[in-house]
Amino acid sequence: MNIYRNIKIVFGIALAASLASCAAGGEDQGLEYAPNMYHSVPYEPLTQITDESAGTAAEWLDENSDGHGEYYNSNPLNPHGMTMRIPPANTVKRNKNGFLPYRLPKDSLTLASRTLKNPLPNTDEVIEDGHMLYNRFCEHCHGGAGQADGLVSEKFPGVANLTGAAYKDITEGHIFHVITWGKGLMGAHGSQLSPEERWKIAKFVKTLQK
Amino acid sequence: MAQKISLKSVFLALVLLSSFLFSYSSQAQEATEEAATEAPAEGGSNAPSEVPTDEARISEGKSLFDSNCKTCHRVHEKLVGPALKNVYNRAPSIDWIVNFVHNSSKVIASGDDYANKLYKEYNQTQMTAFPSFSKDEILSILGYIKQQTDKGPEVAAAAQPAAGAGDAAQSGSAIPEGYLNAIMIGLIVVLVLILVVLLLITTVLRKYLNQRTDLDEDDAELVNAQFSLSSTVKSTPFIFIVTFLFAAIAFKVVINNLFAVGIQQGYAPKQPIAFSHKIHAGQYEIDCNYCHTGVRKSRSANIPSPNICMNCHSAVKTESPEIQKIYAAIENDKPIEWVRIHNLPDLSYFNHSQHVKVGGIECQTCHGEIQEMEVVHQEALLTMGWCIDCHRKTDVNTKGNEYYDNLVELHNAESKDALKVENIGGLECAKCHY
Repeated sequence: MNIYRNIKIVFGIALAASLASCAAGGEDQGLEYAPNMYHSVPYEPLTQITDESAGTAAEWLDENSDGHGEYYNSNPLNPHGMTMRIPPANTVKRNKNGFLPYRLPKDSLTLASRTLKNPLPNTDEVIEDGHMLYNRFCEHCHGGAGQADGLVSEKFPGVANLTGAAYKDITEGHIFHVITWGKGLMGAHGSQLSPEERWKIAKFVKTLQK
Repeated sequence: MAQKISLKSVFLALVLLSSFLFSYSSQAQEATEEAATEAPAEGGSNAPSEVPTDEARISEGKSLFDSNCKTCHRVHEKLVGPALKNVYNRAPSIDWIVNFVHNSSKVIASGDDYANKLYKEYNQTQMTAFPSFSKDEILSILGYIKQQTDKGPEVAAAAQPAAGAGDAAQSGSAIPEGYLNAIMIGLIVVLVLILVVLLLITTVLRKYLNQRTDLDEDDAELVNAQFSLSSTVKSTPFIFIVTFLFAAIAFKVVINNLFAVGIQQGYAPKQPIAFSHKIHAGQYEIDCNYCHTGVRKSRSANIPSPNICMNCHSAVKTESPEIQKIYAAIENDKPIEWVRIHNLPDLSYFNHSQHVKVGGIECQTCHGEIQEMEVVHQEALLTMGWCIDCHRKTDVNTKGNEYYDNLVELHNAESKDALKVENIGGLECAKCHY
């Protein structure tokens, strides 16, 4: 019976070793090597360690006396301990092209469509950029040719057919305003697209409507 | 004197009369002008106000309906606007429909009861004006609606069996689980049967050989050989094999586990909301960039904030408990705490825009077939060796990028191979570690 006992021992050890394995999978993040080089000390966007005891072991050697474990990485001064903050009120984001934030409110659609002019030149490059952006941000609802036949439009009611009679003669300013604020059931896309990108899309949509 | 006065009064009367006549005629002219401008929009008021039934008009109506009305209306179900079945009987008149389509806000402003009731019922949503439609076109659309109304809502009924068939086909391809078990059990039974048969054959053979008397001693010993377990176990070759196997397995396990330290490949944590990339990126083909807005602009690809979810989920699946979690997050102004899956150590720097925008690398190259993942797991190793390997193999995306022109020229002067990432410092330590 010795042979069975030996086999059992071998398999037992192998099983125990694989159970206690260091590899990740499912909920298990796996064993970290040198974790104090893994976790950021300064606040990082999109990552936050809320456990105050994270990394207490690392403090045995080098106490920083902040009352938290070394890897605790949340800003207690922000709501929900978030590491990112909402920009202060009345501050303005600027870029190299001098685009300032769009200031017309949502209900000024007619004013926007009458007064706004596309600051971008009418070049192929701009239209091609607009096409690329359209495919990323608009196509899944409005469809490749603007005919409201995108895959999402099966589930989402009220997708506008951009080539339809009601939209054929809208101005680029109108398109810009609607992308920024949304209209009807369409949501506001101002947070996803910069003003420049919105103008590019507006240029491209006009080519769809020709 | 009296004659003078009468002359004066006659003159005055003439002036008054003429001015009156003139103003009247100009008014009349204006009126006819107005009528002239409105007439084409009305589409010829002498067109018959009956819903057409001939095929050509209906198919014209269908194409008009599909490209203009379908956005907000269906024939049998309420969408943004009311369901349109029977609208030709329901509305006050055909002309009322025509006016409403041309400019609904004008009809509402005129104080029309029916229009105002509709306006209130649909949360004061104004119907887009279609002033370019002629009355004939609107009648064609009504013709299509009438045809569909008469047909009844069989479209939905027809769609359901089709969906059911799809499900059946799907489960047909997924069924083998129970099937496989049956096959395995069958195989085991067959193997056991073979074992029994073999044992029977050996016993029969041994009995037969023992009955024979002409066997010499060696052969007899072979036939009646006794298997001694203890002597086998104690034999040197056996001990050697067992020790070797044990050492080899232990060594392999130890090495494997040591190499897995610090690697999170396969990490697939449960997220606070059961978001499926398979549905969003796979089934509906929503571009990754739509939600991960930073991927071409910054170091991080970004986790979308709830306002981006709401672009669709303001109307899609609003009853689902998972979607309700988004609404709760917005209501309480509390961030959704997604669990980060790809945790690159702080000691190395990685930039998404550099790889995706400049390098033109697909998301799937590093993140795997994300559009097929119900739950996202870390697909790539994300080790230094993995990065370096790609930097050695990958050509730099120099096309249409002036920045690389001089580098390509210098590189081509020295080498015949394409410009790889390693040639522009992709293997330098300080490129990622600083």
